Amino acid sequence: MASLITCSHCGPRPKEEFTVKGDAAIARPAADASEDAWYAYVYLRDNPRGRHKEYWHHTSGCRRWLVVERDTVTHAIYAVADAAAQGETA
Amino acid sequence: MVDFALLHRSALTGAKTGAFGATSTGSRIALAALAEGHVLHLLAAHGNDDLQSLVSQIGDGGPYAVRAYGPGQWFVVGDAALSAADFSGKAALLANKASIADQSHGRVRIGISGASVEAVLAKGTAVDLDRASFAIGHSAMTLIGHISALITRTGVESFEVMVLRGFAESLWDDLIQMSLEFGVDAKTAD
Repeated sequence: MASLITCSHCGPRPKEEFTVKGDAAIARPAADASEDAWYAYVYLRDNPRGRHKEYWHHTSGCRRWLVVERDTVTHAIYAVADAAAQGETA
Repeated sequence: MVDFALLHRSALTGAKTGAFGATSTGSRIALAALAEGHVLHLLAAHGNDDLQSLVSQIGDGGPYAVRAYGPGQWFVVGDAALSAADFSGKAALLANKASIADQSHGRVRIGISGASVEAVLAKGTAVDLDRASFAIGHSAMTLIGHISALITRTGVESFEVMVLRGFAESLWDDLIQMSLEFGVDAKTAD
């Protein structure tokens, strides 16, 4: 179990306990934004090399959504925070 | 009119019992199906994560009755079955600060103990089980193999594992398998 993610509630856990959702950096457009803005929000994703923020769900642990900052090249994990702490979820 | 009688039986009634694995006596593992009394699942309402003192009143006073496993999330367990009145009394205590769900028939507790119990469980989970970081009374929700389980330390050499009922027998077999090198005595209620 190589990749350990240090959950802010549970401590170091293997990645098998988590479910990755994807990019945490994109912002939801306003409800009346253009079709292009919504298309980009729903479908278009970068494929970044290097540091990257993602949503991960600790499915088999505390069941909290986390924002994990990791490196897509080295797999190093730099920071983990509860997604709610950033005011992004209810 | 009921067409057929519902059969009440514990989840591990048909599970394997007896002695398995190594014949050594020094570090044998004991596996026990625990009483299916009550299991209550508590979830704090938004903004009410700090309910520890209130939640502790929901327990039956047993030493490890209240088991926290995440922000605003607890399991409350006990060996005695709860009547509907007992349950609604507990629910009233929480009012609208937390929701409570009866999981008594949904989750099963397995006791595992022995000098090498940490080595056995470490085969299935990556949680650090050392007593320095996993003190007596501490709980952690994790995977044992591919089965989700709540691990609670109940003593220096003893743990409880709580698992969804449908996975109980499968996990039981896995725990026996994981204990073979030390030898294991598996005992269900009857």
